[in-house]
Amino acid sequence: MGYIDISMVSYSLPDGRPLLDEVSFRVGEGSTTALIGANGAGKTTLLRTISGLVKAQAGTVTLDGRALTGMSTEDLPGLGLAHVPEGRGVLAELTVEENLRLGALGARPRSNTAALTRVYELFPVLAERKNKLAHVLSGGERQMLVIGRALLSRPKVLLLDEPSLGLAPKIVVQIFELLRDLVRDDGLTVLLVEQNARSALSIADHGVVLNLGKVVVRDDAATLAGDDALRHAYLGF
Amino acid sequence: MVRRHLLLALGALVVVVLVLENTSQFRNAQFGAMAYYAIAAGGLTVLTGLNGQLSLGHGALMAVGAYTTALMLQSREDSLPLPVILALAIVVTLVVGALVGVAAARLHGPYLAGATLALAVAVPGIPLFFGEWLGGEQGLNVRLPEIPVWLADAAYFVTGQELTQIRFLAYLGWLAAIVVFVLLANLSRSRIGRNWQAVRDDEVAAELAGINLGRARVQAFVVSAGCAGLAGGLLALSARLAAPSGFTLTLSLLLLSAVVLGGLGSLVGALVGAALLTFLPQVVTGAGTDLGLTDVQAAQLAPLIYGLVTVLVVLLAPAGLAGGLRKLINWRRSS
Amino acid sequence: MQQLLTTVLTGLTLGVIYAAFALALVLIWRATRIVNFAQAPMAMITTYIALVLIDAGYSYWLGFVAALLSGLVLGAVVERFVVRFVSGKSEVNAVILTLGLFIVLHALAAIIFGSRYRSFPAPFGLRGFQVGDTTIALTGFGVFTILAVGVVMVGLVLLFRGTDLGLRMRASAFNQEVSRLLGVKVGRMLTLGWALAALVGSLSGLLIAGGGLVHPSYMDGVVVYGFVAAVLGGLDSPVGAVVGGVLLGLSLSLVSGYVGSELVPLAALVILMVVLLLKPGGLFASVRERRV
Repeated sequence: MGYIDISMVSYSLPDGRPLLDEVSFRVGEGSTTALIGANGAGKTTLLRTISGLVKAQAGTVTLDGRALTGMSTEDLPGLGLAHVPEGRGVLAELTVEENLRLGALGARPRSNTAALTRVYELFPVLAERKNKLAHVLSGGERQMLVIGRALLSRPKVLLLDEPSLGLAPKIVVQIFELLRDLVRDDGLTVLLVEQNARSALSIADHGVVLNLGKVVVRDDAATLAGDDALRHAYLGF
Repeated sequence: MVRRHLLLALGALVVVVLVLENTSQFRNAQFGAMAYYAIAAGGLTVLTGLNGQLSLGHGALMAVGAYTTALMLQSREDSLPLPVILALAIVVTLVVGALVGVAAARLHGPYLAGATLALAVAVPGIPLFFGEWLGGEQGLNVRLPEIPVWLADAAYFVTGQELTQIRFLAYLGWLAAIVVFVLLANLSRSRIGRNWQAVRDDEVAAELAGINLGRARVQAFVVSAGCAGLAGGLLALSARLAAPSGFTLTLSLLLLSAVVLGGLGSLVGALVGAALLTFLPQVVTGAGTDLGLTDVQAAQLAPLIYGLVTVLVVLLAPAGLAGGLRKLINWRRSS
Repeated sequence: MQQLLTTVLTGLTLGVIYAAFALALVLIWRATRIVNFAQAPMAMITTYIALVLIDAGYSYWLGFVAALLSGLVLGAVVERFVVRFVSGKSEVNAVILTLGLFIVLHALAAIIFGSRYRSFPAPFGLRGFQVGDTTIALTGFGVFTILAVGVVMVGLVLLFRGTDLGLRMRASAFNQEVSRLLGVKVGRMLTLGWALAALVGSLSGLLIAGGGLVHPSYMDGVVVYGFVAAVLGGLDSPVGAVVGGVLLGLSLSLVSGYVGSELVPLAALVILMVVLLLKPGGLFASVRERRV
């Protein structure tokens, strides 16, 4: 289980500017979908609509057939939806372990110590720093922290907003390989927003290209990566 | 625009004369109070509405003006003419306002509120400490000078009625209020006023446009302090007393809530707020005693209502009554 | 020497109360970025509730507990039904809101409880302890004050650092959005935060009232001192609030003893301005910029 259906979602700012225009696509169970497009295309807004931080004016989002639109954001981790926001959302004034514990508290039922241990095994550097305040972590370590934190809520679906932002290429590769392994081992469904389209498409099964709030293309990731014209037009490479 | 303000001022003057000449002494006294509340409120609304600085201490600044006035009217003979005394009260308060304003210019939001709150609580203690010179708990009595004979004669000639002290003070207050409002209105529309608003809206943009943030803030504070000082002086004259009990924290808070209710930044709103402060208590207290409350309890109904309406205004109509009215008018126009 | 000791002990006892009030302000500031100036009349009202019970013949302790409980309820109600609607919007509006509440609560108290000065009991006695021949300025009530505040603070530390609930509350205070994404019911945490802060405020109210006189304005000075103490320590720092409170209590006691009690509020103002102009973040300013 763990598929998301986005149907005709539209959202405009109070001053009338449309950010999302009848966006529709499905993220299938156990698959990874890359949501890509230029800056300002609406990718982050779409993720925020799925997790309820933004209320769409039209359209529905369902998780395993259950409507998410209208639910409170705080109820979603309990249903198996984890959203790692833009900027990572590290709670820098809390310790590494406290950040992780918060993730565990969001699961229904809450995750136990074994799960925490597993995350430490996955990310040894977090174990080393577990009682330090999270703000001492480097960019890559923070990304690991928030992924680990999200995992602790035992998600069926993981929304990731620009995990590669500000990270060195070597670290980006590490993170993406990790994601690929998680999907394979745990059957996680992932919706990955990235500006770094190349990397995203390399680990994704499907790709959705957004431009100015509209879905321009939906296709297999490999096909998208191979389509030169498209890449040049919307993805910048 | 300046001409329009002068015409309005003239019109206001006519209205004032008509009202004061045709109402009782008691009402005259009330209108007199409304005048000085309007002056204080006008200064405060410009500071808070235009420049975005929240002051909870304007009651303390009124106290400065009041005490300065009182100190100069301790003996009946040898006192300077009233306009000079009031001018001096304004100047002293301007200086104090400058000192506070310079310190306050670097503060914002709750820090500014807290600092001015501390000012409001601190100032009443000063005359208690310097009891010998400042009258202590009882305060300083104010000996009102006689109305100049030429003025009394002229007034009788024009209106056919005797000019009493109360009416004289009411006229004085309203004349001052009209002058202050014209000045404030012109100031608001001028480049200085626009600078103040720019500083309130976006500091970075204002600085980039070449506006000196600190100077703008101090200017606004000083102007509003001057208004408060004048209001305090007039209050001392009307009450014939300057005492700590007249300048409690409650006064500062009521002044601020009057300005909020009228609409931050709106001079018309300041008038509305002043009217509420002056006339609402009596109305409400009367209603309260009719409902069976004791006198003391009924006296608390007015502040209760201010507080409630302030809370409601913040929650429902952040632009205040004047702003809400404007919105209503616009909505009507467009539909 | 005797006077110095007296001044210090009085300052310490008062300081601990200011520390508690400052802590209440800091808790709310961290969670909702609002300085709750209305905390003073809120505490005043809960003290009056205690007074009503005590005057009706019930024990001091019943009144004490009633005050604390009504503080909890009052804080929760104010957050849930009033403050909730201005959170996150204009700073100016939030301040005006708390001021409106200040005026309302003052007036309500005067109507319901009357404006005259009433005395409030102090358990454990108000006579200084005898040490040899001399009586030192520490009273039974003073010791109780210090202990009570200490217990509450330890309790809060245990709650915030040692429990899941406390973790959720801290997270909500640092970043509401991220907390919601992690499943934290931020709204409830905020209500709880205000309730706890009001409880601490109520405690301050009871301790200030003990052995003294209660009237609707009696807590007004305390909100200023609490605020100055909180700023002194850094509005974001609970530890700072405590240290700031004690330091302020000592300083003001010195002013009161050696200069004059009428100038104490002025001294507080001066201290406030000095801190704000020299070290605006307070003594315990956090190193990092807080992410909004």
